[in-house]
Amino acid sequence: MIVTPTWYLVLAAALFSIGAVGMLVRRNVIVMFMCVELMLNAVNLTFVTFSKTLNDLSGQVAVFFVLVVAAAEVAIGLALIVAIFRRRHTGTTADDISELRG
Amino acid sequence: MNPLGVASIVTPGVDWLGVAPVALLALAAIGIVLQRSILRRASVAYPSALIVAAVGIILSAVALIAQWHRVQTDGSYTTLSKMVAVDGFSIFIGGVVLVATACSVLLASRYLDRERLDGPEYLALMLLSASGMLAMASANDLIAVFVALEIVSIPLYVLVAYDRRRSTSLEAGMKYFLLGAFASAVFLYGVALTYGATGSTGLVGIANYLSEVTLLERGTLLAGLVLMLVGLGFKVAAAPFHMWTPDVYQGAPTPVTAFMASATKAAAFAALIRILYTALGGSSSDWRPLLWVLAVLSLLVGSIGAVIQTDVKRMLAYSSINHAGFILIGVQAGTIKGVSSALTYLAIYAFLAVGSFAIVGVVAGRGDADSDLERFKGLSSRRTGLSWAFTLLLLAQAGVPLTAGFIAKFGVFSAAAGAGGTSYVLALIGMLTAAIAAFVYLRIAATMFTPAGEGDQVLASSKVDLGTGIVIWFSCALTIVIGVAPGFLLGLAERATLLFLR
Amino acid sequence: MDFPILTALILLPFVGALFVACLPSNRPETIRIAGMMTAIATLGLTLWMLADFETGKAGYQFLSSHAWFSDLGVRYTLGVDGISLFMVVLNALLLPIALLASTGVNERAKAFTVWLLVLEAALMGAFLALDLVLFFVFFEVVLVPMYFLIAGWGHGRRNYAATKFFIYTMAGSAFLFIGILAVGFLHKSSTGVLTFDVRVLTQWAPAGIAPTTAAWLFAAFTIAFAVKVPLVPLHTWLPDAHTEAPTAGSVILAGVMLKLGTYGFLRFAIPIFPAAAVKYAPVLLTLAVIGIIYGAIVATMQPDLKRLVAYSSIAHLGFVVLGTFALTRQGLDGAVFTMLSHGLTTGVLFLIIGFLYERRHTRLIADFGGLWRSAPIMGGLFVVTAFASIGLPGFSGFVGEFLALLGTFMGHRWYAVVAASGVILAAIYLLWAVQRAFTGVPEGDNATISDLNVRELACILPLLALSLFLGVYPKPALDRIGPSVKAVIAHVEKSTSYESPKFSKHSPILNEERMDHGSDEMEESK
Repeated sequence: MIVTPTWYLVLAAALFSIGAVGMLVRRNVIVMFMCVELMLNAVNLTFVTFSKTLNDLSGQVAVFFVLVVAAAEVAIGLALIVAIFRRRHTGTTADDISELRG
Repeated sequence: MNPLGVASIVTPGVDWLGVAPVALLALAAIGIVLQRSILRRASVAYPSALIVAAVGIILSAVALIAQWHRVQTDGSYTTLSKMVAVDGFSIFIGGVVLVATACSVLLASRYLDRERLDGPEYLALMLLSASGMLAMASANDLIAVFVALEIVSIPLYVLVAYDRRRSTSLEAGMKYFLLGAFASAVFLYGVALTYGATGSTGLVGIANYLSEVTLLERGTLLAGLVLMLVGLGFKVAAAPFHMWTPDVYQGAPTPVTAFMASATKAAAFAALIRILYTALGGSSSDWRPLLWVLAVLSLLVGSIGAVIQTDVKRMLAYSSINHAGFILIGVQAGTIKGVSSALTYLAIYAFLAVGSFAIVGVVAGRGDADSDLERFKGLSSRRTGLSWAFTLLLLAQAGVPLTAGFIAKFGVFSAAAGAGGTSYVLALIGMLTAAIAAFVYLRIAATMFTPAGEGDQVLASSKVDLGTGIVIWFSCALTIVIGVAPGFLLGLAERATLLFLR
Repeated sequence: MDFPILTALILLPFVGALFVACLPSNRPETIRIAGMMTAIATLGLTLWMLADFETGKAGYQFLSSHAWFSDLGVRYTLGVDGISLFMVVLNALLLPIALLASTGVNERAKAFTVWLLVLEAALMGAFLALDLVLFFVFFEVVLVPMYFLIAGWGHGRRNYAATKFFIYTMAGSAFLFIGILAVGFLHKSSTGVLTFDVRVLTQWAPAGIAPTTAAWLFAAFTIAFAVKVPLVPLHTWLPDAHTEAPTAGSVILAGVMLKLGTYGFLRFAIPIFPAAAVKYAPVLLTLAVIGIIYGAIVATMQPDLKRLVAYSSIAHLGFVVLGTFALTRQGLDGAVFTMLSHGLTTGVLFLIIGFLYERRHTRLIADFGGLWRSAPIMGGLFVVTAFASIGLPGFSGFVGEFLALLGTFMGHRWYAVVAASGVILAAIYLLWAVQRAFTGVPEGDNATISDLNVRELACILPLLALSLFLGVYPKPALDRIGPSVKAVIAHVEKSTSYESPKFSKHSPILNEERMDHGSDEMEESK
């Protein structure tokens, strides 16, 4: 059985979908945040696969940018979550954070 | 061959003028952070940070003007191995972003004191975000667009949540962060698919590939296009990706809201327009229907959503969605005229939004929490000038002639009429939603001119500080001047579009 | 270079408004005098223009044209012809009267004066503009001062009324704006020149736009103007706006602003889309007749005097639309003449009702009674105005409505027959109102009511005198209206297969004698 690039692409698409669906259905802020990371990594896999099939390096270079950006997002995101829980001392679901509505 | 036995790495040539506006803003931001660590006393640190910010913005503006002159004579060019395009388009959007940033800094100057927030970090974050916006305006490669997008967004997440003693601000920051990160990921997946379909992330490379090769299997490219549109749709606050807008606009500190409505919108639209026109200009028949739908939804959601709100900041947030719809009318035309009309609209909306939110910030008062419509009751008897200024800005947003808002709408509708066909339907829907939105603006205006009754909460202290005053005067003056004599702005947008690198 | 008199007509009230805005607001007398001076100066300038206006010429006079925003093909082009001439005069005439009538307004007198002057400037612009976009600009700007006048100094549910008025018109003008852009860009795609000049488009459009497209665009224009007139299904904003508006607002609204709609039909919709106008004329004639009958019947049932006059306006404007879409010279003559005449008589009605309201703080007919005995001058003048408004021979209302009916009868007999019953209904609702409010024995407050003073008479008498003069001797007006109207009909005939029905022998009907002759022929043709 030969593993073609399509397999990787399908896997990436599946990971991305899991992340996206998780983002939309889960209410726990930290899990939602992890779902975003999952989506980003799915994208990385896609980039690498395409880079390989196209025989072009720029796709792999893109992955480094994505990694850096993801790291920065983690830093900000966790800081925000901590700030919220310090202030509110309540549960960690998105439904608890709903003062703004209209 | 050097001693290590590796072929020497060829680094791309850098045109320093081309990256100067971005770099200067980023340097100013870093400078503020550095001097904050040296100057510990807030009474010294904040004024000096303001000075550094002002110098950074001015130098960046000077660099933009120098670029404009160079582009006028030598034509548009790219640098950093085609990652960065310097053309009239990027300079125009850069100018809009810088003016909006300057206004937001002016708004924040006293606001931060009032709310007892740390000043220097705020300024640093805002400048950093602005530098990302400038980068976005000239990004000529999908990866560059993505990186710029994140440089814009990450400081904004912090800025939205900046008032961390106020839970609504934190909540808004959280929402913006989660949805923003989600949108970025979606956008990035679109980039990856586009890369897979065309073998390049450079906008010009994609365009070249598409002009030479007829794609047998367009599915991947189309999926990539749709995903990129979704991601950018989030950033420009176009329906149906608008859900975050009212909450975030309401919860964020008012100067940040002003910044987001004006500068972020301009930068995100710049990226959208550049991707669509430079990379996918040849397949406009694919994306025009998509944008048509986005525009209709934004127009309807924005105007109808605003009607049922009771908070002025939320009303303005929905009106900002509505305005995104109008700009999309220009973009979807798929013509040069469409680009220049969208540019004009972005420039005009930038100062209308900044001015409006400045006034809301004054009325909301200390704590910045209460921008309920009730609070505007009887404003005209207490602060006549302020209420007239707000009325003028609201009428301009409604598109009443002899104000800048009319010029903006006239431009996009002309572009739609020039494109013909289904664009006429879109223009008609746009005008009708403008009438619905006018209802909201008039409701605010009428409330201001209704005398406050007994028991209505009135403004305790609403002194308009110097910075805010300048911003309000500036936006009102521009509203009238551009409304009566739009020639200069229209000419600028026209030139900028002609120099658009394609 | 000639003195740009039309630009001056727009700028003078506007500059006056700016000047008033700079005056200190604690000196209402100074403000009133400054406002009055501006309005009178504008009237003087208008009369000068009227004197200079060349009678017997069909084309536009006092033309001036400058580039405005050239990128988008918009020019600042002004001109006046027989159709717009009297609207400009009416606007300039009613403004000082409106100011004079509102000396009772003490609350924020400055803003009130400023808005009235801005309103005058915008209305001038709308009637003088010969560029479609420029027209649209003024057409929309008019809404702003009117909105603030109603919302700021109105009665009762003023915010509701003002907002309804604004939204209705804005939604209507949405169609107009798209229509204007479409015409401009269709012209561009066929000739390569982007222009919104009415003169160019009128020449090009009849042949240049495909019939189906023209029909759609005609519909777009029609919706906007029909809201403004207002034609019946789109009229619901008018009673509210009129009832809640301050007296000065009602006078200008009824006297000048409603005519923007009928003027729009005459100036833009019909000349640019003649074929569509001919084809869909029966639809508009039907709506006009419905408006005449419906307005009159609803007016009969109104308990509120001001609402009664508001509904009567719907009926009167119905005659204007009827005459317009009769597409005969007599009909168009009558339409333009009624536009003028309605401004005079309805203005007086609103003024007297306003004065009554100032005295009694009510407008309900049931609250009045026997006013004639306690205030004989007011009672007498109200009855005279009522007659003028009904269209009694000898008043201007008769000439206009008669010509409109005559013009309609020539081509669309049954419409004219049904519409004529509207005149009888007008007699019923106005005279019944007079009977209830003015006759009988006054009781309570009605017995002690003071009569009209000199200032109030000064508001009313000029308008009534003018109405009487034009009723007896309409020639000066018709001579100026005639050629332009003739040109419109000639244009329609030239660009379509339509032929307007004509009398066999004598051409224009200008005085009573010839009118009799005309009606003889009508009987013959039966």
